[in-house]
Amino acid sequence: MNKREGKIWIEGMQTELSGETLAGTGIRERLGNRHSVDVLPDVWVIKIGGQSVMDRGADAVHPILEELLAARRDGTQFVLGAGGGTRARHVYALGLDLDLPTGMLARLGSSVPVQNARMLQMLLAKDGGIMMYPDDFEKLPFFLNAGCIPVMSGMPPNEFWEKSAAVGLLPSNRTDAGVYLMAEFLGAKGVLFIKDEDGLYTDDPKKNPDATLIPEASAAELLASGQDDLIVERVVLEYMTRAEKMREIRIVNGLVPGNVTAALRGEAVGTVIRA
Amino acid sequence: MSDLISGDGRTHVRSGLMRESLVSKKLMAETDNKRVKRMVPDVNMIAVGGRSIMDRGREAILPLVEEIAGLKGRHKMVLGVGGGARARHTYSIGLDLGLPLGGLARIVGGVEENNRDILQFLLAPHGGVTFIKDHFQDLQLFLSNGMIPICIGQPPYHFWEPPSKEPGRLPDNGPDVGLFLMAEVIGAERMIYVKDVDGVYTEDPQNDTAEFISETTAEDLLARELPDMPIERELLRTLENARSLTEVRVINGLVPGNLSRALAGDAIGTRVYSTRRSGDSE
Repeated sequence: MNKREGKIWIEGMQTELSGETLAGTGIRERLGNRHSVDVLPDVWVIKIGGQSVMDRGADAVHPILEELLAARRDGTQFVLGAGGGTRARHVYALGLDLDLPTGMLARLGSSVPVQNARMLQMLLAKDGGIMMYPDDFEKLPFFLNAGCIPVMSGMPPNEFWEKSAAVGLLPSNRTDAGVYLMAEFLGAKGVLFIKDEDGLYTDDPKKNPDATLIPEASAAELLASGQDDLIVERVVLEYMTRAEKMREIRIVNGLVPGNVTAALRGEAVGTVIRA
Repeated sequence: MSDLISGDGRTHVRSGLMRESLVSKKLMAETDNKRVKRMVPDVNMIAVGGRSIMDRGREAILPLVEEIAGLKGRHKMVLGVGGGARARHTYSIGLDLGLPLGGLARIVGGVEENNRDILQFLLAPHGGVTFIKDHFQDLQLFLSNGMIPICIGQPPYHFWEPPSKEPGRLPDNGPDVGLFLMAEVIGAERMIYVKDVDGVYTEDPQNDTAEFISETTAEDLLARELPDMPIERELLRTLENARSLTEVRVINGLVPGNLSRALAGDAIGTRVYSTRRSGDSE
């Protein structure tokens, strides 16, 4: 057997990455920040909040779906990602009470967004709503070309592989992160978070009446500001600062009629956060 | 814990996290806990290097397989493996084609499956079985029957791989991280990286000035900013935050007996430990 430096060698295997371990700083710097292709640049990725939308029931969910369907009829293509909400918080509380590790909590937290996605699929079925699991992800062009509305769990597939955070045992990557990362991979047209607040506030507006709305913010500045409560998961802001494609996200209040439509038309509603 | 609460337009289930955004730093700190439960605490996770062992072929693989076969019965072992030269080739072609980071993370595991299947074939006479993601919770089924589960290393983030901290837009998370995370949630006793060097050196061990590092914290090793290392940089960050597994060992798998010694608890190779290490995990 042909070997070089003790390793199996065949013609053609030599690449710029062959020489060192992938931990080598030299290799990574030589690669530079190359641009990648856009996978589905015309598609929006839209998150429907769990606690903020789904747990409000029909009063919140039905009008939002009507707006989304109207946008679909006008030719806007999108994938929906569902949040978890109250039942996810309950199972996290139970898991924490039992001293379960983060990877196990992430596994538990994955079930509720799937329930919510299935609820949305049932409501959208007559208009083309279709469940899309991570294993079906590569069928996305087929679903869209067939006129379907793919509905996913917002959770990333990390589950047992979720890393422990520096502080706290709750998984850092939950449904905001999953939806954001999906949009980043797709090189999507945009990522929109539909919640029940007008956008980002200086504090949790449900608890602090003095909190004021921030219509435009920078992810890096928000992270540096030390603000305790945020309207999106903190890791989303961290990812934005390093991302290649999704350099901005928008958060709108889906309880206000017209907001979702306006956001999909590119109008300045809610809060926009830029890297 | 099952009361339903309404009145603010939402229906809540009463729990400690009711109505919380789960983003607050204050809340996250309240959810911290120095003790987490371990799933299968007497397991040893053994990471077999792709480039460092598998790419060397029979001279490196067969003695290691023999040693593992001989250790069966004395130690519960889960084996994991990386992709080596073919993983690098995958990344190289993928980058040239302009695939996004999440796309590279999706495809790279395919060549690790080759290495997993090879190890499974060679260890089959001794109870080697493939261990895949969907059977994670069946771990005890394999171990209690005296088998040696063998898995790939790449964590299943796939298209959801986060943008990299390191330059070059390659996934930060490779097999070293993936196997560590499995060991962490299992609550394993040991995590051993089997490579082709004696451990971590201050520079290329072929240089005369290279010094061997027998023990280091992950934080200090990261801060050294070594130009090259036998383990992934992201492993060091992951180890720092881990709650149940607070140290790993890097050993030379080309030296017969090293794995046995590491499993016996001998201080060989390089020990990398977390600054959190205080021994208070259950």
